Amino acid sequence: MKNSFDEKILDEAQDWINANQKVVLATVIQTWGSSPRQVGSRMIVNEKGDFSGSVSGGCVESAVVSECLSLIKDNKPCKKIEFKVSNESAWEVGLACGGEIAVYIEQIH
Amino acid sequence: MKIKTLEEILKKKSSKTEFAILTNLENGDSEIYLPGTSPKGEFSKYADEIENFFKSKKNGVIENSEIFVETYIKPIKVIIVGAVHIAQYLVDFAKSLNFEISIIDPRGYFASEQRFPDIKVINKWPKEAFEEIETNSSTALIALTHDPKIDDPALQYALKNKFYYIGALGSKKTHENRCQRLAEAGFTNDEINSIHGPIGIKLGGKSAPEIALSIIAQLVSETYKK
Repeated sequence: MKNSFDEKILDEAQDWINANQKVVLATVIQTWGSSPRQVGSRMIVNEKGDFSGSVSGGCVESAVVSECLSLIKDNKPCKKIEFKVSNESAWEVGLACGGEIAVYIEQIH
Repeated sequence: MKIKTLEEILKKKSSKTEFAILTNLENGDSEIYLPGTSPKGEFSKYADEIENFFKSKKNGVIENSEIFVETYIKPIKVIIVGAVHIAQYLVDFAKSLNFEISIIDPRGYFASEQRFPDIKVINKWPKEAFEEIETNSSTALIALTHDPKIDDPALQYALKNKFYYIGALGSKKTHENRCQRLAEAGFTNDEINSIHGPIGIKLGGKSAPEIALSIIAQLVSETYKK
């Protein structure tokens, strides 16, 4: 069996939008090897760089925040980002678990 | 994702409807999919794959496509018998774990809204209370009164309706007596042994929040075993 264990990130996204903030939703869409968060895990980021939720165990969140900020700045709708151990920037931010994840970021508009 | 889609998702979640979010990763289009219906527009050619994801309650990208499917399933229903101190802490844990709690207690001074705000509290005896709750084999029962008059009818109902988790508070002696009564009522040894009694995993703590933690830990563990 499976519980939904919904983390209510989307509820929070709605609150942020109601407070007139720009919100980017980040979702784990694929994982390979040992990754800390499962597919469907979510995080939201606003234009100030505040964030809630998670897409890893703290390994790539800072990189995701800066990608989300660029998305807002360039006014793009969405982007797919892959974090691999071989990926230098991911290594810098420390995906120490050895896994790989793909994160999809999209503006809520 | 459009704000309108987000609002629709939250509406579906609060009405406990099962659904999936379909996202085209190339252009960012997203849509809500209801089981048994045909996905619209660009998603229509993946109808079978989407249905399969839904059936297996999986999230992921459909193979050889740029379509991401995320399924939302109903929260697990947990019925607590006894609006006691431990139940108040169970409610706190259940909130973060997304279990849907209902509480049954015929004793009005326990089953007050002031003690359990935002929770469905049914101030009736179990037999009548169960008429108000839809249950199935994905329902759990936590019996906390250790009063046979209240707990026993609820345990019998849960056994008959094959709840996936049944736990009952009480010492080893209390539980032995309970098993004896259930045997006399015609329940088999297998059925009786399926009850977790004394309830909870061994943590060693004796305070209400510690007991609640040991119960909720057992409940989560049993959820993934079934």
